[in-house]
Amino acid sequence: MAAKKKSDAARNTGKLVQTLDRILSAILQQYATLMLVLVFCGVAVVGLLVIRDLESANSSAENMYRVSVQGLLQAGELQYFAQETRRATLYALTTNDSNLQVEYADQTRDADRKVTEGIAEYRQQAVLPEQLELANRLSRDWAEYLGIRDEVLASILEGSTKEAVSLDLSGGVPSFERVKKDLNEVRRLYDEQASQRLANVVATSRRSALRLIGTLGFTFLVSIVAVWAIQRSRMIGAIQLAKLQMEFVASVSHELRTPLAVLNSAADNIADGLVTGKPEIQRYGTVIRTQSRQMSELVDQILLFASVEDRSARYFFESLSVNQILDAAQRSTQELVEGSGFVLEQRVDADLPPVVGDLSALTQCLQNLIGNAVKYGGERKWIGLHASKGTSANGAGFEVRISVVDHGMGIDRSDLPHIFDPFYRSPRVVNMQIHGTGLGLSLAKRIAETMGGALTVVSEISAGSSFTLHLPAAERNEVDLRSAAAQPTSLSQQ
Amino acid sequence: MQGRIKFVGFLGLAALLLALVARQAAEGASPDPTDPEVTIQALAIIVNRSNSVDALSTSELRRIFLGDRSHWPNGRRITLVMREPGEPERRCMLHDLYQMSEGELKNHFLHGLFTGDILVSPKILATSIGVRKFVFNVPGAIGYVRLSDVDDTVKVLRVDELLPDDKGYRLKVELPVTK
Repeated sequence: MAAKKKSDAARNTGKLVQTLDRILSAILQQYATLMLVLVFCGVAVVGLLVIRDLESANSSAENMYRVSVQGLLQAGELQYFAQETRRATLYALTTNDSNLQVEYADQTRDADRKVTEGIAEYRQQAVLPEQLELANRLSRDWAEYLGIRDEVLASILEGSTKEAVSLDLSGGVPSFERVKKDLNEVRRLYDEQASQRLANVVATSRRSALRLIGTLGFTFLVSIVAVWAIQRSRMIGAIQLAKLQMEFVASVSHELRTPLAVLNSAADNIADGLVTGKPEIQRYGTVIRTQSRQMSELVDQILLFASVEDRSARYFFESLSVNQILDAAQRSTQELVEGSGFVLEQRVDADLPPVVGDLSALTQCLQNLIGNAVKYGGERKWIGLHASKGTSANGAGFEVRISVVDHGMGIDRSDLPHIFDPFYRSPRVVNMQIHGTGLGLSLAKRIAETMGGALTVVSEISAGSSFTLHLPAAERNEVDLRSAAAQPTSLSQQ
Repeated sequence: MQGRIKFVGFLGLAALLLALVARQAAEGASPDPTDPEVTIQALAIIVNRSNSVDALSTSELRRIFLGDRSHWPNGRRITLVMREPGEPERRCMLHDLYQMSEGELKNHFLHGLFTGDILVSPKILATSIGVRKFVFNVPGAIGYVRLSDVDDTVKVLRVDELLPDDKGYRLKVELPVTK
């Protein structure tokens, strides 16, 4: 019981891996380029992000320098000129010469103008509430100091030195101290701002580095996954091809073994003298002929596939009527169709244009389709062969459509994408022990494409299938085809 | 002998006089390039812009500039600002307002300061611009400058209801112009 469970689990896992591989393979076949484009886009996005982060860090650093460093310089200048204002005022105290005193008064007023302008500038630049409050306080304290300074200056110029000193000590000094304190506060705020901005720059830089590492890591991971997936897809493809080839060899061996066994047995019977009498010999002859023909057909098909595969086949293109093609196909399959008890119903629309192609190849193509219809046609034993005219897929001209229709078992939807793959055989028909090489449809499709046309299929389980050979009408390619018909053309030249 | 000496002395004196006359004649023959020509400009009486006084009579002005009046109506002490002796503006004030000589003016202030009638001696400044800047800096200051040196940092007073530009304004300064 446990062993069975384990076996079931292993089977389920195997199925899952197989499904995953199949999905991966399908995705990669369709989207390998897209994945590479995605990786490229990822790298481009990473580059853009890095550039953006670098610009952001640069801008922050510039901003920090402009606002904070220049702010500190401005605060330093304010402090200097405030000291100059006071120094010049006090210098006026040191002399009795009115001319010198007036000169010092000029100096102190020049300096105080610069401080007043600096404070106005600081107030204009202030953004934070703390800065605005400080700017207002500084402006107020400075105005108060200037009021006292003017009084002191007036007293000095009047010659009232004692009064000037007294006024300065009582009002000027404390007032100037408040201004100094405010200016120190301005400096401190700029310092704090600079530190904050520096921290922001560091944080931005760190964030950029992390983002860079993250995105690079992600891109690296995606690249690895893409490369792994591509390699795995190739490996799966190779394995599938090897498996198909093995199946092909097994299938061909099996297909050969049955007629060989019959031939062998017939030959033994004849050699051992067990076959006597004309009717008996005729029966054996028929069997040997049928089996030989079957083997011959199989070998022909393999050789044809090989020649198509190595692109060495040469075709003779000529203008062909549809009836010509259909008659040739019907002739080559008549024995098979009738021998299998099938009825082939042919319907050809009037006024069909001629097509250009190789008669032998087109006959082979239809022969394969009719052979499949016989093989999978089921109990109704009916095959339809219809020829009609339609507009080509690109809408550029007309085409001739030759359909081979049966009412047999139909094709599973999951098998439809693979039926034209070489060596592919549906698990359903393998289980039903319907013999085949898996080359017929692949060959038919290649021939159709080589003739400049296409092969399409519409099928429904238990309702039947309809394979349509699309061939471009001769009018469209008349000039090309005339020249093509003049000489044999190899596949490699198509 | 004595008569001869007198004669020689007379001759010497005559020669000296002759030489002086000749020199003067020679000087008159070639023109002096520094010979002054005089232009006349009004002399503005200026006070600090914060001063509420706009006009004064000549007599009030004289009293102020003599130090007889020491405070403005708002109680602020009056500070006199003058130019140095010899400057045209000072000569004008001496002539037109004080009607005194330089010596008399000095004596007046020395006497006033000694007796305590005058509290602060006038401030003497070397340039008109200095006077103007002083008045700008000191709310109670009053000074005088040529009208061409006035700007909007100070206020010009009317004297006897007349501004320096007005006809009949009395304070006029004679300014020498060198060619």
